[in-house]
Amino acid sequence: MNIAVCVKRIPKTAEADIFIEKDGTDIKKDHLVFHLNDWDGYAVREAALLKEKHGGEVTVITVGPEESKEVLTRCLAMGADKALRIEEPPSLDAYRIAKILSQVIKGQPFDLILTGVQAEDDNFGQVGVSLAQMLGLPHAAIVNHIEIEGDKAKVRRELEGGIEEMIELKLPVVLTIQTGINEPKYVSLAALLEAEDKETTDCGLEEMGIPSDDPVDTKIDQVSFPPVGKMAEILKGSPEEVVAQLTEIIKKKKG
Amino acid sequence: MKIDPKTFVHDYQLNVCIQCGTCIGGCPVKFRSPLNMRRLVRQTHFANDPSSLFKKPELWACTTCSTCSLRCPAGVKNVELIIGIRNFLANQGEVPSTIRDALENTFLQGNPWGRFRDRRADWAKDLRVKVLGEAATETLLYMGCAPSYDPRVQSVSTALVKIFQKANIDFGILGKKESCCGNEIRRMGEQALFRKLAKDNTNLFKKSGIKKIITISPHCFNAFKNEYPDLDIPVQHYTQVIAELIETGKLKMPKELNIPVTYQDPCFLGKQNQIFDEPRKILTSIPGLEFAEMDRSRQRSLCCEGGGGRMWAEGGTEGTRNGEIRIKEAVALGAKVMATSCPFCLLTFEDAVKISGLASEIVIKDISELVAEAIDENSITKFQAPNNHQ
Repeated sequence: MNIAVCVKRIPKTAEADIFIEKDGTDIKKDHLVFHLNDWDGYAVREAALLKEKHGGEVTVITVGPEESKEVLTRCLAMGADKALRIEEPPSLDAYRIAKILSQVIKGQPFDLILTGVQAEDDNFGQVGVSLAQMLGLPHAAIVNHIEIEGDKAKVRRELEGGIEEMIELKLPVVLTIQTGINEPKYVSLAALLEAEDKETTDCGLEEMGIPSDDPVDTKIDQVSFPPVGKMAEILKGSPEEVVAQLTEIIKKKKG
Repeated sequence: MKIDPKTFVHDYQLNVCIQCGTCIGGCPVKFRSPLNMRRLVRQTHFANDPSSLFKKPELWACTTCSTCSLRCPAGVKNVELIIGIRNFLANQGEVPSTIRDALENTFLQGNPWGRFRDRRADWAKDLRVKVLGEAATETLLYMGCAPSYDPRVQSVSTALVKIFQKANIDFGILGKKESCCGNEIRRMGEQALFRKLAKDNTNLFKKSGIKKIITISPHCFNAFKNEYPDLDIPVQHYTQVIAELIETGKLKMPKELNIPVTYQDPCFLGKQNQIFDEPRKILTSIPGLEFAEMDRSRQRSLCCEGGGGRMWAEGGTEGTRNGEIRIKEAVALGAKVMATSCPFCLLTFEDAVKISGLASEIVIKDISELVAEAIDENSITKFQAPNNHQ
């Protein structure tokens, strides 16, 4: 069973101070730390588990800058066998990423192609399903369980309202992986250092026969903070003063 | 970098064990988990493949307080065995998920809670504290992760700044360049990450031109003093510094604190590093303070269960927490304040006070907070004994 996993390096923003770039089309990233997209981590772990069970090879692929190698190294430490980085073109959107990935994957003997459901940074959730369309392969999105039986994949996917759907697809297939499908292992620094010795292939777009000036469908005009809501009131003062104010508010609301 | 459990017998001197049971007799989590040190040493010694023994959740219950290894009459390195086992498990990726997150957070953000690195010195914004790199000084106040980020422990940080400024000590902090000391990281089994932190921190300290390091946490103190291989800068715990300031008359405490106080010896300061007298010297120098000693004190002090990565572990223990037992001991002694000198003790005992429903009987204070109160006779009293609260 040969598996390709498409991954992305993204900035960690949960606890960070966020500032918007001067041109207003992106956030500042130079003070942020980057890591492997959470969903992709589950996809790589799932690929490693399937490899343990069915044999074969796991290849991780990313479209990104030089620094993306650090997430590929992490994937190699997590059990991937090969890593490929495609240089990112000057402008990029989900459709374009899917297009580049499809050109790389097309004709390769993969039985299973996994992506995360979405990336933490832009939350588009488009790459996996677009990729399936471009490759002309069946797909299932938001997958939280995979079983391989012969040339078929039986997968469970999340639907709205807590309902799950069990479907059977003929391999090869593209699946977008939901968090919680497995329990990701800890990747120790020793394992990361060891994985640094494994080879990562770098490819320019031209080498792959992909034009670097393909137009993108989506252009970001502006990013902005959501307007501050009017319902929240932030109480100010020492803990004692805040408690006193809060008690008054609760008393009033209680009627 | 590969760990081979077959060398554990030699590495941790398991073959000198006489099975006397002193280790398990002193273990603070023996009633709280199935962890049995005496059995673990024996089984690891005689197993053909010791790694088969290591998939037990109780191996994460050990707080690395070191009572077992310090009391062992034969010289078995019990705690190092636990750390070695955890190292083996970490390299296999088989650590509990909360420990995994703490380790990954430290790798990315330099602290186990995963708080944003750039906010590490936010607590010091309005305190006129020198930041090394922007200003020169020879004394580093190394903050540590909990005093930098935890809102409760930040009060210890501000108390120390107040004390040092009052005593005219020229000191600085590293600001957002500071990273975790790695003491707990090593004890959670991540030896490689610990070595990286030790190397990076040592280089940073040397580059900053500092001649002395003062730590807030006994855990950072222990790492710098005993486990950083290339650090040749003298390290002091803050209680040593304040005790000296009092002795040399550089710090006066004009305000009376008329309260009965007892003291919890943190394991990494007391039994592991023999600093017992300085904290007591400080407390007994505070005017009006009535100091009372608990029965189990100094080397026999009961572990708060905050060490060894337990701050980030979930489960693995059951029943009454040591913290609750300890608080009841302090209350029975008539103490209205339990003082300590470790951020983890402070947090675990505050939790224990709340769980025990004894919040009206006793409060937990860091020694620095009591001193900060006593040095300023005009200060508005932020702290009062609980029975004085209206």
